[in-house]
Amino acid sequence: MESLKLLAPLAWRNIWRTPRRTVITLIVVSVGMSSILLFAAFLEAWAASSRDRTLTLLTGSAQIHAEGFLDDPTVKRMFDEPSGALADALQDSGISGWAPRLIVPAILQSEYRTMPITLVGVSPAHERAVSVLPGNVVDGNYLQDPADPGIVIGRKLLDHLKTRRGKRVILLAQAADGSLAERSFTISGAFAGDSAIEEQFVFVGLQVAQGMLGTGERLSEIALRVEDPEALGPIVERLRHAAPGLDIRPWKELSPLAAAVDETMGLMIYIWLWVMFVLIAFGIVNTQLMAVFERVREFGLMQALGMKPRAILGLVTLESGILVGLGVLIGMAAAVVAINSVTDGIDISFFAEGAAMVGAGTMLFPEIDPARIVQLSFVVWALGVGVALWPARKAAKSSPMEAMKHVS
Amino acid sequence: MCPERAGTRNRIARGQPEGALRERSPLVSCRGLIKTYVQGAIEVPALRGVDLDLARGDFATLAGPSGSGKTTLLNMIGGLDRPSAGDVVLDGRNLATLGKAELAELRLHRIGFVFQSYNLIPVLSALENVEFILRLQGIAPRERRQRALEALADVGLEGLEGRRPAHLSGGQQQRVAVARALVGRPAIVLADEPTANLDTRNAEELIELMAALNARLGTTFLMGTHDARVIARAQRHIELTDGRISSDETRPAG
Repeated sequence: MESLKLLAPLAWRNIWRTPRRTVITLIVVSVGMSSILLFAAFLEAWAASSRDRTLTLLTGSAQIHAEGFLDDPTVKRMFDEPSGALADALQDSGISGWAPRLIVPAILQSEYRTMPITLVGVSPAHERAVSVLPGNVVDGNYLQDPADPGIVIGRKLLDHLKTRRGKRVILLAQAADGSLAERSFTISGAFAGDSAIEEQFVFVGLQVAQGMLGTGERLSEIALRVEDPEALGPIVERLRHAAPGLDIRPWKELSPLAAAVDETMGLMIYIWLWVMFVLIAFGIVNTQLMAVFERVREFGLMQALGMKPRAILGLVTLESGILVGLGVLIGMAAAVVAINSVTDGIDISFFAEGAAMVGAGTMLFPEIDPARIVQLSFVVWALGVGVALWPARKAAKSSPMEAMKHVS
Repeated sequence: MCPERAGTRNRIARGQPEGALRERSPLVSCRGLIKTYVQGAIEVPALRGVDLDLARGDFATLAGPSGSGKTTLLNMIGGLDRPSAGDVVLDGRNLATLGKAELAELRLHRIGFVFQSYNLIPVLSALENVEFILRLQGIAPRERRQRALEALADVGLEGLEGRRPAHLSGGQQQRVAVARALVGRPAIVLADEPTANLDTRNAEELIELMAALNARLGTTFLMGTHDARVIARAQRHIELTDGRISSDETRPAG
C-alpha cells in the first residue's frame, strides 16, 4: 500500500510527460475498446433478432410433428390431438404456452393471381401464447376462434395477389383423402412479419382447416414456448419420453442458422476482441517502450538511489495500467453512449433480404449486458497491462550504472 | 536497522557533533580491487589493485586524469558496479555477497549520491525529490515532510520547495541533489564531479556547503573531482593514476 502511494503519483505524472503521445495512445485504446463493445452489442442484437425471429414468429422454442413431416410436410403426416402422457407433459410449468396447428402446402388464388403458399390452421387463443403474429395485424383483425371463417394474409402476399382486406380468395389444397379441397375465404386481416413469412404463410381457423381438408381433429404440428432456455432440453426430453412415436425437436434443430448465429456469436466477439487487441497492443507496447527508452537514465538513477528493480517494474506496469485503464474507461463510456442512442433500434430494412439470409429481422436492437461490458473491458485491460510487462521488465532489468551512462 | 546506525541517527537528531563518537573501524574498506572492462576482444583495465580505507567522517577527494578510474572506484564503493576481483566492505558488509535488491537496500540507507549532471527526477518538485528517498525508506509522512524541508533549508533552498528541476538553476539543482543525498542520513556521500557543471560562485558555495554538512553531521564524503577548489578544501586527498592509488595524503582540517 505504501509503495502504491509512492508509485501512483509518480506514474500519473510520468504518463503526462508527453501529453501528445498519451492522447494518441488513449485514442487507440478507447477506439479499440469501444469498437469491441459496439461489435459485441451489434452481434448480440443480430443473434437476438435471429433468435426472436425463430422463437416468436412461428417456430417457438420447440415443435412436435408426426415422424417424417419435416421432410414431407403434407396432409398425410399428422398426429392426434394430445392426450394422456403427452397432454400431461404439455402441462409442464416450464411451458408457457403451446399451439396446435394444421399445416399443409396450398394454392391461394385472387381475382388476378395465384400463389403457392403454406396454409396454417390455428387456434387463435393458443397461438397468442406462442407467436407474436396475432398481435402483428396491421390491417383488419386476426382470427377470433378456431371456427372463424376468415383468412389472415401477410402484407406482401396481399400485394402479390393484388387484392386487399374484405376481398375474397380461393384456397386449394390436397385433402386427407387425396382429393382436391377448395374453399373461398374473406380476407379479414393482413399481418406484418418478416418478408419471408409475409409471403409464405396464411392463417385460417384450425377447425375450418380441419373441416376443409377432412382431417378430423388431427394436427400437423404443436409449437410450444419455453421461457427459460436452460429448461428447454429437459422439457423436450420429457415430451419425447411421453410421446416416443412423435418427432419432437428444439428450435436449434429446427432453425440451424439461428442456432449457429447464437452459438458463434460469442466466438466472433472474441475473434474481434483479439483482432482489435493486437492493434491496441502495438500502440501500448510502442508507447511504453518509447517511454522506457527515454527514461533509461532515470530508472538507473532510481535504482542508484535505492529503488528496488521490483519497484521499477511496478512503476512502469502501473503507468501502463493507468494508461490502458483510462483508454478502456473512455472506450466503455463512448460505447455505452452509442448503444444507448440506438435503443429504439437500427433499421436495416435497406438490406432486409441480406439480413433475412443471415437470420436477422429488419430491426436490430443493440444492447449489451453490463456484466459483459465489465468482462470485456477487464480482458482488454488485463491483456494491455500484460503486454506492457515487456517494456516494464526491460526497465527493471537495466543496471543502474549502465543506465546512468545512457544519454537520453 | 543495526544498533550502531540507530545510535548515529539519534546523535544526529540531537544535533551532536559526530566526530567525537566516530568509530575506529573504517567505514569503507577496499582490498585488491581490480576492474577490467571487456569491449569485444579488448580488455580495458580500469582499476589495477586498489587498497583503500575511508574512516567515518572523512571529507576526501579522489582525483586523477581522465581514465584513471575515479568513477569506476566510486561505482564500486557505491555498489553500482561489481569488481572483477577484490572486495569492497562498506559498514561491515562485503558488497560481493549482496544481491541486486540487497544492494539497492544498502544504497538506500547507507549511501548518498551526488552526480555531475544533478540527476533529479524531472516530474517531482525539489521537495518531492528530496522526499523520494524518505518515501523509499518508509518514513512516516509528517516526519518525511519535516526532514525534507530541513534538508532543503540546510542547502539554502527555502521558498523553492515547490519548483520542479526545469525551473531551478544548475546550482540550485545540485543543492537539491545534495539535500537528497543527505536527507536519508547515509553513512557516506559519493559525489562524482559535483562541481563540474557549475559556475565559479555556485561551485564554491557547494563546496562550502558540503564541508559544513560534513563538519556538522559527520557524514563521510568521497568526491571524484578535477576541481582544484574542491581538492584544496578536502581533509584527505587520494590521487589515482592508471587504476592505482599513486598518493594518499591527509591534511589537518582547515
